[in-house]
Formats: sequence, C-alpha cells, structure tokens
Amino acid sequence: MADISLQNISKSFGAVEVISGLSLDVHSGEFVVFLGPSGSGKSTVLRMIAGLESIDSGTLLIDGKVSQDLAPGQRNVAMVFQNYALYPHMTVRENMAFGLKNIRLAPDEIKRRVEEAAHVLEISALLDRKPAQLSGGQRQRVAIGRAIVKEPAALLFDEPLSNLDAALRVRTRVELAELHQRMKSTMIYVTHDQTEAMTLGDRIVILNNCKIEQIGTPLEVYNTPATKFVASFIGSPAMNFLSGTTSQGKTGANFVTSDGLTLETNIALSNFGAFELGIRPEAIRISDTADGLPAHVRVVERLGDRTLVYAVLPDGTQIVAQDSGRSGVQTGDKVHLTFDPSQVVLFDAEGKAHHS
Amino acid sequence: MTSGRLQKLNLFGGIITVVTLLCAIIWAFPIYWGIVSSLKPEDEVVRPYIELWPETLTFDHYWFALTETQIGRWYINSIVTALGVTVLTVSTSMFAGYAISQLRFPFRRTLYWLILASFMVPTQVLIINHFVLVANMGLLNSWAGIILPQLIHPVVIIVYKQFFDQVPKDFREAAAMDNASEFGTLFKVYMPMNWGVTTALAIVSFIWSWNAFLWPFLAVTKNEMMTITVGITQVSDAFGVYYARQLAAAVLAGFPVAFAYLLFQRRVTTAITLSAGIKG
Ligand SMILES: Nc1ncnc2c1ncn2[C@@H]1O[C@H](COP(=O)(O)OP(=O)(O)OP(=O)(O)O)[C@@H](O)[C@H]1O
Ligand SMILES: [Mg+2]
Repeated sequence: MADISLQNISKSFGAVEVISGLSLDVHSGEFVVFLGPSGSGKSTVLRMIAGLESIDSGTLLIDGKVSQDLAPGQRNVAMVFQNYALYPHMTVRENMAFGLKNIRLAPDEIKRRVEEAAHVLEISALLDRKPAQLSGGQRQRVAIGRAIVKEPAALLFDEPLSNLDAALRVRTRVELAELHQRMKSTMIYVTHDQTEAMTLGDRIVILNNCKIEQIGTPLEVYNTPATKFVASFIGSPAMNFLSGTTSQGKTGANFVTSDGLTLETNIALSNFGAFELGIRPEAIRISDTADGLPAHVRVVERLGDRTLVYAVLPDGTQIVAQDSGRSGVQTGDKVHLTFDPSQVVLFDAEGKAHHS
Repeated sequence: MTSGRLQKLNLFGGIITVVTLLCAIIWAFPIYWGIVSSLKPEDEVVRPYIELWPETLTFDHYWFALTETQIGRWYINSIVTALGVTVLTVSTSMFAGYAISQLRFPFRRTLYWLILASFMVPTQVLIINHFVLVANMGLLNSWAGIILPQLIHPVVIIVYKQFFDQVPKDFREAAAMDNASEFGTLFKVYMPMNWGVTTALAIVSFIWSWNAFLWPFLAVTKNEMMTITVGITQVSDAFGVYYARQLAAAVLAGFPVAFAYLLFQRRVTTAITLSAGIKG
C-alpha cells in the first residue's frame, strides 16, 4: 500500500513530446483507472510508473521515495500485462515464484506466498501446469497471482481484461473489485472501456491526447464532466449536443438553438456567445404537449427496461432520448422534447463545461 | 468434386511422386555405390562395368581401416575439435546475438553490419592469414589450432539475433519487473523458451566442423593429430590408390554424422531452414 505521486512528468519519444507536465496523486489503497481512447497515453503513463519507459523530467514518488531513476524491479510495484506474458516454459508455480527467487526470498516464504495467492485466486489445482495448458481466464489469474505474490506497494494493470470474452470479462471485473476490497492495495488500471472504469474505479483519470481531461469519482465524471470530451466519452448512449448561442436570461444563461428556440437554464455564465448545450438521454422527457423542442422520431429501440428514441430536430441535429420501457412512442411520430434543467450543461468554444 | 477432377489430381500427384523418387535415386546412388564398393575386393572395384552388388562380399577394408590406421585417434580428434567448436560457437554467438538484439549500446548497428559483412567473406580467403597466425601462436598440430579459426560462424549469431528479435518484448519487461538481471533474463527466460533453436544450431555447427577439411588439413601434419576427414586421405598413401579401402574409411568417417542426422532429423531441418532463410 502506498501513495504514488507524479509531479510534472514529461516524456518524449524521439522528437515527439507525448506527455508534458503531467501531475497526478494516487492515494494509498485507492483504485485509480486511466480511461481514454486509443493513443491517449494511458499505457505510457502506466509504464513510466512501472519503470518500463523512462521519465524525461519530473518526479515520481512511490511511497514517498523518489523513484524515477530506479530499475523496474526496484520500485516495489507489480504489473499485469495485457497479454499476460507468462513464461511459457515455466509452470504456474515457477512463474509466480520467479520474481521472488530473483530477490532471494527464503524458499519457505516463496512457497507460502505462492500457495496463499493461488488459494485467493482459486488456481491451487493448476500450480503444476504450464501456461499453454490453461484457459484464457486461468492465465489471467496466474498473471494476477504473479503480481500479488510480490506484495507490492501498488499493482498496475494494462487492459488486463481485453483478451477475455464478454461473459468472463464481467466476472473477472467483479473478482478484481473483490480482490481490491480484500487486499486494500493501491491499484492503477488502464482501460478504454468506460464500464470497467465506472465499475472498478474509486477515481477515474480521463486522458485525451496525452493530457488529463478530468480526475474524479465515477459519478463526478458522469454528472459533472469538466470538458466536452469527457461528456462525450462517458455514458452510453452518449450525451446529446446542440449548437447555438447564449445570452443573459432571468435565472441564468438563455440558450438559443440554431432554429431560434430559446431554452432557459440556471447556469451562470460570465461570457456569452457560441456555445454547445449538452444533455444526457435520460434527462430528456418526451412530451405530447406542445412545449419543448419539436422533433421527428426516426428509430425506436425497445430494450425492455427502457426505450431509446432516436429523433431529429428541424435543423438536422440527432438526439437520443431515453424513455420508459412501456413508452408508446412510435417511429415517425412528431414529438416534443423537454430537458431537465438541472442536468443541462453548457460547453464554451474551448470545450470547457459550465454546470448549474 | 467430380471424379474427373479427382483423377486429374491423382495423376498429378503420381507424376510428382515419380519425379521425386527419380531425384532421390539420382541423389542417393553415389552413396549406395560408395558403400557397395567398399564391400568389394579391390580388383572388383576397378572393373569397367557397373555391378550393383559385390560378387564376393568382403569386410577386409573395414578391418584394415580399423586396425591398420590411427582411425581411433582421428575419431577422438574429430570429436574433441567438433565439440569444442560447437560449444564455443554456440555460447559466444548466443551472447552476441542477445546483446545485438536486446541491449542498447553505442555502435550496436555498426557491430551488426560488421558481423553481416564478415558473413560475406568466404573463410578460404582468410586461410593463409589463419595459417600464419596459428603457426606464430605455435598451435599447429594441436586441438586449439584446429578449433580457433573454425569459431567464425556469423550465421549462428544472426540466427540467434533473429530468434531473440522475435520474442515478444513483454517477456523482457515481465523479467525486468521480476527483478531478473540480464543474465537471468537470457538464461532463465529467453534460452529456455526455445531450446530447439540452440539444439538445432549446435547440431549444425557440429556437422559443419566434423565435415571441415581444408583447415584441419592445413593445420595438422602429424598423423596422430589429424581429424577423421583428413585422416581418411592417408589410408591410401604408401601404396598408390586403394579405392575400396578409402571408401571404407570414408563410410566410417561419415557414419557418426549420418547417425546424428537420423537421430535429430527434425531439428537439423529446422536449423537448415533457419540459416537458409538468412543465406537466401
Ligand atoms: N515506443 C514508442 N515510440 C514512439 N511513440 C510511441 C511509443 N509508444 C507510444 N507512443 C505514442 O505515444 C502515444 C500514447 O501511446 P500509448 O500507448 O500510451 O496509448 P494508449 O492510451 O495506451 O493507447 P491504447 O488504448 O491503444 O493502448 C501514442 O501517440 C503513441 O503513438
Ligand atoms: Mg495501451
């Protein structure tokens, strides 16, 4: 268990600076998820913590110890690789013991730790098998086992579930959450899957173009996204965006759509002009009355517990609204959409979010 | 599939089989001829027509080679020098290949290009230099003298480098996270991951060295220091050419290699494919 602190970290590959001035604090025992699209720098940051990529400038503190110049094995962190990287010629037991033998731990202690980890991960029966004789899910457990026997200050995961099938992924996700509950160790987990991020993370670090867009709890990033990128990246179906302009209204800014319809918000703005309005599908109500934005229903998806209504506004903007499972809306209907004012977000030209 | 097409396929397969068989016969005939001739009396060997089987079967030539020559000594010399070459070549090439493939140091590329370039120089070109050097070192007529110039096998380094290049870098990183040293990574992770490469390279080095003729022939003048390939040329020496006798000695010389081939057939094929891929 340890705090990990990245202070003003920069990193270049050749002439290209991919990470510049990144700072982040991971608290002891916390489960932090790095979430972002492909190429956003998640792996690079994780690998810099692990010591597999060098850090060009800045300070990395692991448990208060300056670590950016230490060899990977000496940072007291363990990593689970995406492709597991189990040594194919070693048995499960040997795979798990390899790192412990290298630090010349007493054989009794190695045996105890390996067996304990195997017990926790329910792979005791597999200890004498080779990786080739294991299923994908079992290999995954062995890879986790190999990391936890080191009793590291922090466990690092780089997309550990991406090679599993959908059902196993869900199960392993739950087990990982349980493992974290039990071990209470610091974990940093890289994924591009928002469900994994939302369900596992105590806090989520959202990366885009190698920059941190937002750090927050799952609910914070969902309910109060800091930028348009975060708002569009988190949530499925994604948040709806309408373009328009703002002006001073009674309770806050008024948003005027390109069709000239005015929506009142209670968001306080200091500057007005071209803005985008964001609203999540579940914050949209479909009303039969004539107030709200007129829309034309294109597709209706009935999912049982809820209904997704795909509609277009007169200016051509696509809107997804979520209605109840028993919704009576039909394809081709002309409807009106009203927005829950407390859930409306305005994004300025730089993509910065303004909440009520 | 219609039966007509099937028949065509069958016909095609048949032709291929016959052609392959013919090639195999053409290729194997000299070997057969050599063995059969070594079992004939000397006067039968020089008859001007082809006899596929000896009129009188005799093992005299083998008896001669085994009792009247120093063939036992030659075997020992061959085994020691071939093993020496194999062990030294494989172990040094393994380190060199690993370093060039996995470590980052100045002039790594230059070094690799030098090794590749040395691969283009036939050893025969250097043989005079080797002779002078080894003579100056006072190593003529010694095992070390036979072994040293044969250690230049850039192809083994290149095969190792390519093999190490192919190992996913995850393993190297996992080993680093596991606190393994470079030696640990090489010996506990990379080498055991595919012993097949090492076995194959060892077998091929052994066969190369066992079959080496020109250098051992130059480096050794004393009968008791000769390797078997050089030794068999001595069988006829005193009394003119004895074909059958020489052939018997040659069969004896080739026997261990043929045996090794049979034993490790698959590995040898792998090794030859590995090195041919680079030579080609
Ligand atoms: N070894 C490297 N050399 C040069 N550029 C690199 C290297 N590794 C990563 N990059 C660049 O750094 C950026 C971040 O890459 P990174 O692998 O961290 O992305 P990621 O968020 O992990 O993506 P993914 O979800 O696809 O794994 C990318 O633009 C990538 O091209
Ligand atoms: Mg990645």
